[in-house]
Amino acid sequence: MKRRDFLKTTGVVGAAVAAFSCADQQEANRLTADRQGLGDADLTWGKAPCRYCGTGCGVEVGVKNGKVLAVRGDEASPVNRGLLCVKGYHLPAMLYGEDRLKYPMLRNADGKGFSQISWDEALDLVARKYQETLDQHGPEAVAVYGSGQWTVFDGYAALKWIKGGMRSNNIDPNARLCMASAVMGFLTQFQSDEPMGCYEDFEAGDDFIMWGNNMAEMHPVLFSRILETKRQRPGTRVIDIATRRTPTTDYADMYVEFRPGSDLALANGILHLLFENDKLNRPFINENLIFKRGIEDLKQIGYGCYGDDADRYTFKDKARDASLDEMRAFLADYTPAKVSGISGVPEAQIRSLAELYGDRDRGTVSMWCMGVNQHVRGTWMNNLITDLHLVTGKISRPGNNPLSLTGQPSACGTVREVGTLSNRLPADMVVTKKEHRDKAEKIWGLPEGTIPSKPGYHAVDMFRALARGDIKTIWIQTTNPWVTIPNLHRIKRTPGDGRFVIVSEIYPTPSTEAADLILPSAAWVEREGVFGNTERRTQQWNKLVEPPGEAREDAWQIIEVAKRMGMAHLFPWPEDDWHEPMFEEYRSFGLGTGKDLASYQQLRLTRGLRWPVVDGKETRYRYAAEHDPYVKKKKGVHFYKAKDYGERAAVWLRPYHPPAEEPDAEYPFWLCTGRLLEHWHTGSMTRRVKQLHQAVPAAYVEMNRVDAQELGVNPGDGVRLVSRRGRIELPVRVDGRGKPPVGTVFVPFFDETRLINELTLDAMDNISKEPDYKKCAIRVERV
Amino acid sequence: MNVRATGALAAVLLPLCACGPGEERLPVPGTDGALKSAAMVRAELRAYDGAPPVIPHMGFGMTCTECHNPIAIEVPGIGLAPPYPHDGTLGLSGLSRCRQCHVFARTAGVFVANGFVGLPQDLRHGQRLNEIAPPTIPHKVFMRENCLACHGGATAREEIRTTHPERVQCRQCHVEVNTTTTLALGG
Repeated sequence: MKRRDFLKTTGVVGAAVAAFSCADQQEANRLTADRQGLGDADLTWGKAPCRYCGTGCGVEVGVKNGKVLAVRGDEASPVNRGLLCVKGYHLPAMLYGEDRLKYPMLRNADGKGFSQISWDEALDLVARKYQETLDQHGPEAVAVYGSGQWTVFDGYAALKWIKGGMRSNNIDPNARLCMASAVMGFLTQFQSDEPMGCYEDFEAGDDFIMWGNNMAEMHPVLFSRILETKRQRPGTRVIDIATRRTPTTDYADMYVEFRPGSDLALANGILHLLFENDKLNRPFINENLIFKRGIEDLKQIGYGCYGDDADRYTFKDKARDASLDEMRAFLADYTPAKVSGISGVPEAQIRSLAELYGDRDRGTVSMWCMGVNQHVRGTWMNNLITDLHLVTGKISRPGNNPLSLTGQPSACGTVREVGTLSNRLPADMVVTKKEHRDKAEKIWGLPEGTIPSKPGYHAVDMFRALARGDIKTIWIQTTNPWVTIPNLHRIKRTPGDGRFVIVSEIYPTPSTEAADLILPSAAWVEREGVFGNTERRTQQWNKLVEPPGEAREDAWQIIEVAKRMGMAHLFPWPEDDWHEPMFEEYRSFGLGTGKDLASYQQLRLTRGLRWPVVDGKETRYRYAAEHDPYVKKKKGVHFYKAKDYGERAAVWLRPYHPPAEEPDAEYPFWLCTGRLLEHWHTGSMTRRVKQLHQAVPAAYVEMNRVDAQELGVNPGDGVRLVSRRGRIELPVRVDGRGKPPVGTVFVPFFDETRLINELTLDAMDNISKEPDYKKCAIRVERV
Repeated sequence: MNVRATGALAAVLLPLCACGPGEERLPVPGTDGALKSAAMVRAELRAYDGAPPVIPHMGFGMTCTECHNPIAIEVPGIGLAPPYPHDGTLGLSGLSRCRQCHVFARTAGVFVANGFVGLPQDLRHGQRLNEIAPPTIPHKVFMRENCLACHGGATAREEIRTTHPERVQCRQCHVEVNTTTTLALGG
């Protein structure tokens, strides 16, 4: 139908609309009069990165009379080019939930309820508790549990205070639950963390291979860049390797379904075929690679979740040299037939995947996030994906990269770059190396030997230590562990147990419920900040509105406590202007090391820059000639950070190991947990946004139709999920946005009233100590 | 196109008020018993002006763009499907995932009450240099490149409906007033 015909035939409607519009016009006049014509142009617009995921979308924030009234996707942002996802568009409402925490609240002496106290009382109390613990139990009894949602300032202040002030390494972030396996993947292979590729890979690549990664929901704006590439170049292919169908699958050219945990076998199977079909890039291998293998004995490694050693799981991998020939022999076992048997992936699909990776004429980008990282052999799986790119030479070139996606807005900027981990210091340094400690002590102006050399507790162990009573005082900021730690029963606590738990938050959560002292924090644009995203982009924003009540930024809270403990020398900057000098001090760690950040002044003036930034210029592709200023070669790549490997990257031989727990007769289902598009992590922010809550008001369990029929339940019916650790009731959803295969169920973890982590297993990756939230055994019962 | 069905639909949705200037037969919008004005309906579907509207219906088991294409179509038995305003938006197409931004409302409740007050729609008209000059565009064009989605056809509100939908190169004469800033720089 032509438009004119259409207008003619809708004449009747047109008349009605016209008539109705008289009232509409009156309404319009009234609204205009009421609001004196408030519009875009009447707001003050500032820049900020989005508060939520690791994509780092640029957002314009519209402010009037001290309130955020609107946001817009920043058209000038090279990350998102004006687009946002539904969470991003609804950012402003996240600040205005009616139960925002506004005042410090101390638990009452009877253990029930909280009473408001002043900041002075609160800060004095925190300082006194830490000092008492240090005096009576030593630095191993204090802890800070931080976040990939911390700004660089918060993380740096906490790191400096605990390692340089309290002489403890007990600082670890929620990113341990999220990105630690990717960190260990990059460190074991390149001796330097974070990806070599960047978002331009989404336009430069031909084949986008997602490993256990529901990108359409978890990194929607990046996924839309791939869809646009596909529209412009129809030969572009999206490959979804997963354990259940998701919205990502709807856009995939090939869906590869594997049994939980068998991705290790699948990746080895692809490597086997690359060797067999002579698809190796030998000149690249000879010039740039070495081969390594570690401890492979299942019994020796274990899983860290049960047994005698579970409470102090301390496996340490030991590397030895290997070779290309040894790798060929190692892979001989991973024939298509055998891999198909382990993984359930048809041999033809394994061969197709090998063809994709082996095709030198097509750019290959592998992407992964929690599916690979939250894995009992997460570091191994990271190694294997990168191996696929190394042996084919498909790395550090536009459109050819292993691109690990981050889950949190500053998992890279704050956790991985500042090094807010129990074993780390800024800029790839570790506490176990004396020269690294020396450098930190020198920059911080501290006596030699201040920083202890023994790593502190990692996240899972930190909460086990708290439960045991080995940690007496802990401060938790910007995260919600009483929803997110696996096997939650293990860390249940009753206030008055002799421990002191401080939680800095913006809203009440199950973690503030478990606290002895609650401190109100400033959120997002209520304070000045810096985040670092997936593609090494550091983004700065200014404070745009005042926080509510007496809420203050996390870094300020830490600095004030440090001052009260006689550690003012750690933060020697003016009280009204400390952000820039703190950032410049932090920046000095990376200068000249290949982890050079842009100056604070330059960050203010730009939409972020990707490090290394040398002479004010950012780097799109690390290790690549003509891109990375540290590469002096004319052509090819130079893995210059891998000093111990002769400045070559390491290919790791990593075998298949089974998951820690598998379905059996008593617990016949796989349980997989994860996120959704609409809710950010534990939902403490997004559930307070009307549109997001109304879209997904509560958790549910996705089941396969066959399983539902067999159980005799209909969509919407309640079922009970039972694991060896806990049980919950949830409504069933069949053929929803995700479709698990027979024998698997999926439950999102955002809902604090239905805690799926009471069922999950606290099994860990042997190297990264990241827990596996993606697979444990449960049974499903009719209610 | 089923004209009769459309007429019946209009009668249900929109009481015919042949109100000329000065006449008023309808209760004032916003009061009890009144139908909501298009501006109010529009506002209710959005957190603020510029936010993606929530989907005011449940899924029909088909692709969004089957109904919400670049021109308004009448879907038998359902009503007029507002057109897709992003036709021509860089990076968006019919292949895009609509539900990256537009979500269903599956419940009416809230988790916790929220005091957010969003930017209202700016109902001021664009500026004219003189009486016969074309008005400027008083809003950002990004994501709204398909002008006729709102300014033409049966779903366009009268006060912003174009008199000349056949002149499809809207931006030959109507220019966007740049409301973009500008990074808020400095301390």
